[in-house]
Amino acid sequence: MKITTPLFSLLLLVAVAGCKEKPKEPNTGPYTLRPDSMIVPNTGAMNTYASVDLSPMDMSYFPVDYTKLKMAGNVVDPPVARVIYSRPHLAKRHLFHDLLKYEEPWRLGANEATEIDFYKPVTIQDKKVLPGRYIIYCIPHSDTWTIVLNSNIDSWGLRQDPSKDIQRFTIPITSGNPLQEYFTMVFEKTDKGANLLMAWDNVLAKLPIEF
Amino acid sequence: MFFLAGLLCFCSFALRAQTDFPPADKSPMDMSYFPANFPLLKIQDKVSGPPVVRVIYSRPRKEGRLIFGGLITYGQVWRLGANEATEIEFYQPVTIGDKKIPAGRYTLYAIVNENSWTFIVNRDNDSWGAFKYDAAMDVVRVDVPAEQLTEPVELLSMSFTGSNTAIKLVVAWENSKAALPINF
Repeated sequence: MKITTPLFSLLLLVAVAGCKEKPKEPNTGPYTLRPDSMIVPNTGAMNTYASVDLSPMDMSYFPVDYTKLKMAGNVVDPPVARVIYSRPHLAKRHLFHDLLKYEEPWRLGANEATEIDFYKPVTIQDKKVLPGRYIIYCIPHSDTWTIVLNSNIDSWGLRQDPSKDIQRFTIPITSGNPLQEYFTMVFEKTDKGANLLMAWDNVLAKLPIEF
Repeated sequence: MFFLAGLLCFCSFALRAQTDFPPADKSPMDMSYFPANFPLLKIQDKVSGPPVVRVIYSRPRKEGRLIFGGLITYGQVWRLGANEATEIEFYQPVTIGDKKIPAGRYTLYAIVNENSWTFIVNRDNDSWGAFKYDAAMDVVRVDVPAEQLTEPVELLSMSFTGSNTAIKLVVAWENSKAALPINF
């Protein structure tokens, strides 16, 4: 059963990729097309209000599934962290041949810059990080990634402003992990706090967060 | 032998843990800013200072279903989205329906009726849907007329219109459209 959804997505992507038709220009008004985001083909009903992103946005909390735990009455404290990111998919491309380049900043997502909120002070690699909102991006190297927290919030992910970098961390990555079609960011609990997992293709990176 | 079995067990667990990453949501999340496309304008140095407001919501599809008066019962609190509760963030104090609201993050709900919508700004954040909606946490409720659309809207859509000091959050889905006035 589990295979059906990815398989369907793949078929859909093949269908989308096979259809070379350019996305239509936005219809009217101030609702402009996002330049680096393809538009889902029109499925019959017009949408002049807000175009639909090909790379869907998503959010992950720590504690994992915080909002559902809250709904079930199982948490009393506020969450520790939340990340909001858009999820590009491989669509038959290779991560480090087609999409990312070593030593070039990558927005860890798509469209709007990926943002991370800390609801309390945390420590990452012995560096204190104050509560608040940051954008987070990465500079991939062959065996490690540099993860950057930056204060230029509410920006689009295509251009970083290094003068607003707050902290940089170097973390090891592993390859050969189970293939992830969609870029995924999710937290996992650890003894000292949580790891922020970043997975795409067969690459997995973990940012250790202590609190 | 036990070690090997243990290792195998651990590996299969680790493998499972990794393949159990969340799939892409059926109702994709999205965000809208005012000024519209603020993040894009920002990296082109076309704006200075913070935005005024942004909304983060998930976008369910109509998929041939009857939405208002069907999937969504008239007169009941609706999460105005899908999955995580829809949130609206004001980067500066605003006024909604004669109520001054401090800057900050809020949760947005709606009650849809045939000819009118009620927007609800609530301060219980980081929630899932409207299942634990608590009216005691309401900041303001505003009744607005609903507009009937001739072209159906497949995915729930939100965007801001207006300028200067008076804007509207326009929400459209299926054949209904409503707008929440926000002044600042």
